Amino acid sequence: MIAVAATAEMDAEVLVVGSGAGGATTAAVLAEAGFDVLIVEEGEWVEQGSVVPFSLEQMDRQYRAGGVTVALGLPSIAYTEGRCAGGGTEINSGLYRRPPDDVLQRWAIDFHIREFENDEVQTIADEVEEAISVCTVPGTPSAPSDVLRRGAEALGWQNSEIPRWMKYPGKDTPADDSNIGQRQSMTRTYLPRAAAAGARLVVGCRIDALQMTSGFASEATTTLSDGRRGTIRFRHVFVCGGAIQSPALLQRSRISGRIGRSLAVHPTVKLAARFADELNVTDDVPVHQVKEFAPDLSFGGSASQPGLVALALSDQWSTFARAITDWRRISVYYAAITSEGRGRVRAVRGLRDPIVTYALTRRDRALLGSGLARLALLMLEAGAEEVYPSFRGAPVVRKRGDLATLGADFAAARASVMTVHLCSTVPMGEDTDKCGANSFGRVHGTTNVWVNDASLLPTAPGVNPQGTVMALAIRNARRFADAERPRG
Amino acid sequence: MASDSRLFQLDRIVGPFAELLLAEDLPLLPTGRRTEVVQFVQRKAAGIPSFTRFGVTVIGLFYRALVAVPGGWMVARILMSRPLPILGEYPRLIRSLSYAYIWERWPDTLPTGACP
Repeated sequence: MIAVAATAEMDAEVLVVGSGAGGATTAAVLAEAGFDVLIVEEGEWVEQGSVVPFSLEQMDRQYRAGGVTVALGLPSIAYTEGRCAGGGTEINSGLYRRPPDDVLQRWAIDFHIREFENDEVQTIADEVEEAISVCTVPGTPSAPSDVLRRGAEALGWQNSEIPRWMKYPGKDTPADDSNIGQRQSMTRTYLPRAAAAGARLVVGCRIDALQMTSGFASEATTTLSDGRRGTIRFRHVFVCGGAIQSPALLQRSRISGRIGRSLAVHPTVKLAARFADELNVTDDVPVHQVKEFAPDLSFGGSASQPGLVALALSDQWSTFARAITDWRRISVYYAAITSEGRGRVRAVRGLRDPIVTYALTRRDRALLGSGLARLALLMLEAGAEEVYPSFRGAPVVRKRGDLATLGADFAAARASVMTVHLCSTVPMGEDTDKCGANSFGRVHGTTNVWVNDASLLPTAPGVNPQGTVMALAIRNARRFADAERPRG
Repeated sequence: MASDSRLFQLDRIVGPFAELLLAEDLPLLPTGRRTEVVQFVQRKAAGIPSFTRFGVTVIGLFYRALVAVPGGWMVARILMSRPLPILGEYPRLIRSLSYAYIWERWPDTLPTGACP
């Protein structure tokens, strides 16, 4: 535990709000460059291994609002945010994807991002992969993961194992390395690095607003976990609270512009599939993904502890209920789309939490339906005996002929749509009609307020975004460090 | 006796509804377990973000008024069986939280709620 207790009055040369993929990397780069850095995290420090992954206890301790957060719409989309030291990196699947080159090029052109070189971003990605020990699982994949591989290969669909940030036993790893078997999340990597360079991390401290004068922020008002109010004085501030909390904080601080108007997500729909043999893994997720239809559509595996299997069956409980007794033979899978819809984040005076909305397009709805049908087909090809799609009125799928019924019965409004990838609420670039921040994350119309997290991604990248978030955050922090001289 | 403001607190609204829903869905769930599940749902509901909590409270009040009249539960069941936007989300939320808790806590629970 490297966190220190929050006090009512604090100060720093650079205040970093949030300690996830954006905040932790920003803090490490700036502290190592000699800046006096204070990282402020609203949640608590939860030691890895002290909670069961994907459990309700983890949701209580490490998720915002206990995991019950939703973007309102028809249908509403359930989403999750980390609220703990390390942010979302402590609770996500740990799967890593590089920033896609074609996406980076499109962003640079469409959003007028200056000095945005693919080579620079990819070189930083190399460093990130080293720092967080990105690698594939040694040995054979888990049975739920192999289902994706097997089904895709039977159909001739492109699939691969996705590496993750995890340290496994190996010839180059000492047997007594305390990181073995641990996810190399921010509490294991960049936060200790930032602390070693002198950064301070306080937990249990919410930033209520930044005090702005003519585009300049000089202090932040805070609420500590015991209810005390306080202030933090600073010279520069990096807002890294994620794609929901970052725009909400800027709005509460009366910063206007393209803030919170272009939320982008990867909506997903799910199904549960029952096989002949036991395959359920309660505390991990499959590492294979199927990318045959990427970037529009991709398939992967979800956490499948029995509570989550019951959840997947609950939309059509009257006919799916009997399957729950077979949960050891069931695993849950998802179809994710790259959505053309957009959402909004609005901070409302008097309300502690922002209002989040999201509107799927007609094309999104159709893609969710076709994605679910294709995923069901993949399950059948992998040997599933029965498939249970997660929407009200769904049929049990036992053979290819049932897929037509699935397609006909599906409606997005009846489905449990959710997402874990949220981004694009403060897009970066010089086009102020589209972008809330400049090419390096400084919020347009301000002189010392930066955003450096998933909010900056101009659109949803079509892949797990954490690698992209980290690479861009490091790029921007380095530009800042080059331009500003540390005080001391 | 509860004050007027307590009557509108979300835990007071979702608790009785969750009791009814669980009794209907999982009739053989032992009483002690049901109580534990309802307490979990109430605790989760209390943590819902502010605007969503307001919406859930309004819909919860609608269902509470509905089930308070003779035959109201039958009407509620019909509403719950339809894929209605907004109104349908409330029982879906209660059911999701309940089931996730039950099968994480007691994974061998039968579809009727009975212990094996």
